[in-house]
Amino acid sequence: MLLKLAFTITALAYASASFLYGVYLVRGSERAKQWGARALWASVVLHAGLFALELDQLQSLPAGDVHQAMAVTAMATCVVFLALSRKRPIAVLGAFLTPVVLLLFLGAGVGRDVPPVPSPVRTFLLPFHIGVNMLGLVAFAVAFAASVGYVVQERQLRSKRLGGIFRRLPPLDVLDQLAFRSVLTGFPLLTIGIVTGALFASRLGAMDGATSMAAVLSAISWVLFAGVLLLRVAAGWTGRRAAIGTILGFVSAVTVLLGYLLRGSVIS
Amino acid sequence: MSDELVVVGLSHHTAPVSLRERLSVPPDATEEQLRCVLDTRVLREGMLVSTCNRVEFYGAGPDAEAGLARLRKYLHERGHPEPVQGHLYERRGEDAVRHVFRVAASLDSMVVGEPQILGQVKHAYELAQDVGSIGTLLDRCLTRAFAVAKRVRSETEIAAGTVSVSSIACDLATKIFGDLSGRRTLLLGAGEMGEAAARALAGRGVHLVVINRSPEKAVRLARESNGEARGYEHLASELVSADVVISSTSAKNYVLTHDLMKDVVKARRQRPLFLIDIAVPRDVEPRVGELPSVFLYDVDDLSQVADQNLAHRQQEVEAAAAIVELEVAAFERWRRTLDLTPTIVALRGHFTNVMKEELARTLPRLGELGPTEQKSLDKMCQAMVNKLLHQPLTQLKEGVEGGNGAALLEATRRLFDLDELAHEAAPTPEVKPTAATSAAPEAEPSPEIPSESMGMPDGEAMTERPAAALGGLALGLSPTNLSGEPK
Repeated sequence: MLLKLAFTITALAYASASFLYGVYLVRGSERAKQWGARALWASVVLHAGLFALELDQLQSLPAGDVHQAMAVTAMATCVVFLALSRKRPIAVLGAFLTPVVLLLFLGAGVGRDVPPVPSPVRTFLLPFHIGVNMLGLVAFAVAFAASVGYVVQERQLRSKRLGGIFRRLPPLDVLDQLAFRSVLTGFPLLTIGIVTGALFASRLGAMDGATSMAAVLSAISWVLFAGVLLLRVAAGWTGRRAAIGTILGFVSAVTVLLGYLLRGSVIS
Repeated sequence: MSDELVVVGLSHHTAPVSLRERLSVPPDATEEQLRCVLDTRVLREGMLVSTCNRVEFYGAGPDAEAGLARLRKYLHERGHPEPVQGHLYERRGEDAVRHVFRVAASLDSMVVGEPQILGQVKHAYELAQDVGSIGTLLDRCLTRAFAVAKRVRSETEIAAGTVSVSSIACDLATKIFGDLSGRRTLLLGAGEMGEAAARALAGRGVHLVVINRSPEKAVRLARESNGEARGYEHLASELVSADVVISSTSAKNYVLTHDLMKDVVKARRQRPLFLIDIAVPRDVEPRVGELPSVFLYDVDDLSQVADQNLAHRQQEVEAAAAIVELEVAAFERWRRTLDLTPTIVALRGHFTNVMKEELARTLPRLGELGPTEQKSLDKMCQAMVNKLLHQPLTQLKEGVEGGNGAALLEATRRLFDLDELAHEAAPTPEVKPTAATSAAPEAEPSPEIPSESMGMPDGEAMTERPAAALGGLALGLSPTNLSGEPK
């Protein structure tokens, strides 16, 4: 009961932050921006409280299963974003990032009746596998927000509709660089995550349909991010195409997670 | 009663440029012009704002009507033989404060939200400070005006978006590339507007490359902007390496065709290119704007951006005006407390005098008293005065702040006969013209009166300096030079 209440309050806090950042993007209210950041900090604190409560009541550590890993990812994304926006004029990206965070948080609360992880994969590698995937996803979430910002800003510049949203969004180059650095950070983590995931799959023997789908989508995400990086580094590609590649890569990575959740667990 | 603020002037709203030119005052003549209008009895404080769009005198004195008349007469004389009547506007009291706040916040400017006016008003304030013609009222009004301007700029989008072609080009380039320093900018042709835009970009640290039919002009412009001049044969390679291209040739046909730019874009590998076509007829084929990562803006687009920005600023005027109104109300609350100070000083002086007289009469009857006992008695009497006055002074302050001060002050002065007492105690002193700096301290209210015990809001009212010492007297004015003639 208490857990449910804490979950609802935290979800409401995330939703408020998302709403306030949205208001800032559309209306340009400085107050909405300030309160958006405050609401997001409050969400992080509440979320930490929720973890403590879970630890106390369920005796389960965060990142013990995919649900909690998603929840930790949501919280870590907020902390990273808040830290980044202290030094860069990217607060407005909160409007694109916080809905994703809310989605991850709500997703993490769905179908918590997780079956126990089978013994063949219950090794020291499991938290490592989940940990690197989590960190990779945080980096890709930031890259995603920057890329959405890039696409929106580029569209405004080309259509010559230079209203409030145009003024509030950062310069294209700033968004492009932020997306590039974030992908560069997330890519090695995703690679390690996929390799360790493949290791688990091989220990379990034959994969069922959903696990195979997850593996395929993970591979697609990896290929997309690898393509974005390769084209950037080798062919000097920047801009819109890189942004779209990053968005697709992130959507694919989130779909993998959602695929897991629909099944109830990574491995069941 | 305290002094009142007055404003008389003309601006682009009311007067043609010919008249504004005639009345404008260069900075080095400000002191002389201020001396002409300041007067110990009429205008004790003064300040002059003279820009290409406005000439305004701000003043403060005990008689607002006389102050306005003096300024009006002065401007008529300066405008002669061109008639000034009908072009002047006059404001006093709260309206004058509102006007000053609106001017500083750029709500009264030709291009609403432009930033220059604040700097110009600040400069005018500093000049007046140097002359010594800024007293309590103008000082407070102007410092608040600067704060209001800052607040308006930060809390509204009144200054968002630029409105000149050059600055729009700079802003758009910044929105694409972020930091412009070191970015390569190609100026193709050297038309006047193109040159201005290139100079504005060069001011932001771009590396300028000039290609022009006339090499001499290209070399001159490149040298002026620390850039380089190249021949026409380098056009394609420069287009590949440039980040921003400003085209303003006088060619009759397209210089940057779709076919040429298609190859350029391919060679640039999606790197963004900002193309500014300022030429008429246009230099860049419109279809070039459809190529990936190319942002093409022609003169019409830039004008449209300027219109959008201006329209947006106009939308923000209402919000900015609301801030100004709040600040005007706050200023008026403060100004009303100025009326309170002389009454408080007189009332406290009266009570203290009564206490001292009674003490002097009583002490001999008490026989031999040691210094400690005498001091204790003195302290006790002082405490009684403080306690007795605390409630009436608090009520007075609240009444004044609530706008009901005049009647209360009048009643207090009559009840205790304060005007008569002040007259008896201090016959009109002979005031010598002194420098503002030396006059200020002697004008401070009695330091023995703690502001808390008087119920003052923040002690500000107690720092009032008689404007006479700061205005006309500080300028060394005498009745002989009050006729409006320079000294």
